[in-house]
Amino acid sequence: MTELLIREGTPDSSGTAPGSSVALPTPPTRRERLRRLPRFLGHRPGLVVASLVVLLVLVAAFAPGVLAPGDPNVGVVADKLRAPSGAHWFGTDYLGRDVYTRVVHGASLSLQATVIAVAVALVVGGLLGLLAGFVGRWVDEALMRVVDVLLSIPAILLSLALITALGYGTIKVAIAVGVASVANFARVMRAETMRIRRSTYVEAARSVGTRWYVTLWRHVLPNAAGPVLVLAVLEFGLAILAVSSLSFLGYGAPPPAPEWGSLIAEGRNYLATSWWLCAMPGLTIAATVLSVNRISRALDGEWSRAR
Amino acid sequence: MTVRPRGLLLPALLSAAAVVLAACGGSAGGTAGGDAGPPRAGGTLRFAVGSDAGCVDPQQVGSNDTIYSVRQLVDSLTDQDPQTGEIEPWLATSWQTSPDAKSYTFTLREGVTFSDGTPLDANAVKANFDRIPEIGARGTLPKGYLAGYAGTTVTSPTQFTVSFQQPNVQFLQATSTHSLGILSPASVAKSDDDRCAGVIGSGPFTLQNYVKNASITLAKRPGYAWGSSLFAHQGEAYLDTVEFRIVPESGVRTGSLQSGEVDAIGSIGQQDEAPLTGAGAQLLARSNPGVVFGIAFNQSKPIVSDPAVRRALLTAVNRDEIVGGVFPSQTKPATSVLASTTPSYADQELTFDPARSATTLDAAGWTAGPDGIRVKDGQRLTIPVTYSPVAATNKPALELLQQQAKAVGIDLQVQEVPIAQASQLQAAGDFSALWYNVTRADPDILRGQFSTAGANLFRLPDGPLQALLTAQAAEPDPAKRTAIVGQAQQELLTEGVFVPVSELTTVLGVGAGVHGVTFDASSRIQLHDAWKSDAR
Repeated sequence: MTELLIREGTPDSSGTAPGSSVALPTPPTRRERLRRLPRFLGHRPGLVVASLVVLLVLVAAFAPGVLAPGDPNVGVVADKLRAPSGAHWFGTDYLGRDVYTRVVHGASLSLQATVIAVAVALVVGGLLGLLAGFVGRWVDEALMRVVDVLLSIPAILLSLALITALGYGTIKVAIAVGVASVANFARVMRAETMRIRRSTYVEAARSVGTRWYVTLWRHVLPNAAGPVLVLAVLEFGLAILAVSSLSFLGYGAPPPAPEWGSLIAEGRNYLATSWWLCAMPGLTIAATVLSVNRISRALDGEWSRAR
Repeated sequence: MTVRPRGLLLPALLSAAAVVLAACGGSAGGTAGGDAGPPRAGGTLRFAVGSDAGCVDPQQVGSNDTIYSVRQLVDSLTDQDPQTGEIEPWLATSWQTSPDAKSYTFTLREGVTFSDGTPLDANAVKANFDRIPEIGARGTLPKGYLAGYAGTTVTSPTQFTVSFQQPNVQFLQATSTHSLGILSPASVAKSDDDRCAGVIGSGPFTLQNYVKNASITLAKRPGYAWGSSLFAHQGEAYLDTVEFRIVPESGVRTGSLQSGEVDAIGSIGQQDEAPLTGAGAQLLARSNPGVVFGIAFNQSKPIVSDPAVRRALLTAVNRDEIVGGVFPSQTKPATSVLASTTPSYADQELTFDPARSATTLDAAGWTAGPDGIRVKDGQRLTIPVTYSPVAATNKPALELLQQQAKAVGIDLQVQEVPIAQASQLQAAGDFSALWYNVTRADPDILRGQFSTAGANLFRLPDGPLQALLTAQAAEPDPAKRTAIVGQAQQELLTEGVFVPVSELTTVLGVGAGVHGVTFDASSRIQLHDAWKSDAR
């Protein structure tokens, strides 16, 4: 591999500082940035709402008791199928359980699965892309053909096939969803790595005799990671949808665990008479996915473009 | 004994009896339609059901939603009157039972053919019965009916004798079920899986098309002239085609019936009753005989092998709350292992007594742990309960049961398995506890389910129960048999073999223009007499 690195480019002694960003020629000071923030957000109410929604969802995921102190699995049968009201914000389900409490407590299960899914995709996909982009040649060819195959199978179908092999459960759903989006990450990571690999500071590092793995770790990875992290936030929204789809189909945690997807599935039989059983968890998923997407758009250079 | 078809008297009798019996607590066979005029031939009946068993062989299907369609494909040797429980002629015009109940001689009706043209004679019946003991896990029902089968002797094309190694009094009723419906010898010879894709019978309808998890389409059998003596009319069925559609959401089924997209729907949820009656649909209901909905335990597994745990669960169930909260309004809470419509049923006065459950568990050494779940020798009182989604009520009922069990410190964990895998899983004993029910209009279903001599699905040990189950199967005197069955029901509860929860009431929603949909003795439907006012 060292040979491969030496072959690239001619040594350059201009000595660009390793790891420094080229995108922002004059980085603004902390005070300047703080002054810009209110105006930036004032023009983007959508972003503010999105941030608040994501904040609420995060609180629900890590401390559900703060938002909904009740037990999500216990209801009063006499109060079943009550419409949304002051006592039950999201109404009650077919066993008299409070739908709001169930949605809040379901957030931790659904988000746990989503985080695992994105982490699997990010780590596995990122490493594959880094390897393919950095090593090139037949390694790149081989890995990218595998990625081609993965991309040619619809993600949800691939997840279903994996679930069939792995079995049911929240973690298994998460792994299935994660593996299905490995290909996207590998592609983006590879493209970024190939771009960075040819940049001057990498050549400089190589010319001073830095070992290949140090170059990869210190110079290539940090600079190639940006777009992949934005993709991760974007994928986060998609993974919530995918995890919910699989839990809707009954592959998630066993009842009475209130996963978001299974909450919607439970409400299907009551659509005609009790709309809130499906609508409330459905709107929650929609709001979360839209918010995450809005935030990922903001992260993708909106700040630097908005000057 | 030779009985001839009763001709024109029957339609009047049936509808009159249905009205009378519907008034006596919904245990009657229901007929739809009042003054709709004379029946009209023609048209397509579109029937939405909730699930598909993945198989259309009547001998291998045990799920009601699929039995509705496959019942129409085959005829049975006999039929059972839903009101009296009497066995009546169908393919067999007469029969004799030997005094020791070990052999049965049937005389077949002449001129009956399968839809592939081959005659339905004694040899065809023999081929069916010879094959049934070899069917795999899906065929638990007919295999149980033929337990101890010694062979069939054909004496003439229309006469044969079925013999058993031991007395088998339930066999006559079994011949009236769809499970012992007669298939053509060509279908019998196929493998189990091939038969699941489609079979040929002699019934009033033939299988036109089967798309897994989507639809089962039946077409009228031209020239059908051998209907059961209980049918309202003889000759061909009125409907040209019957289309069963698989629609898993009960809300969508209800909406389809309201909008006229379908003509009839199965598995009505409690929440759908008011919208349906408001839209002018008729609700037909009949309580299913057999083993009620409840939990049976695999006694070879740890925790549930402890009788104290099983008995504690028995008194921890608040049946009224579950039935009132989840099941259709016509449903009754279980009062025994057998449903109240089963012959020889005996009320066991099941009580809801969580304090007694707590005492039972305390005495057996199960003490409350930090999170309320009881613990013994470091082992949590966790019972995984397996179910398959054959009815929309299964999941809510189990979730409520889970809440009730938690109140006495039992952690029930609910696990869903697909319908198509359920029978394999049961046969393999790969479960701790099973939520299920079985429909059968004969108390011998207890032997089929709980005898150690058969499949022994629940890995029961030997005990006083076994002698009772064997004795009732050999007792030709109905009064004595009822007494033995009563003891068996009591013994099942004393040992905590089964935790009864709710009876199953079959509720169908039928559009205003549909008439003559009748329940048979097992609360499954017979569509030979069904017809539509607008015949489209």
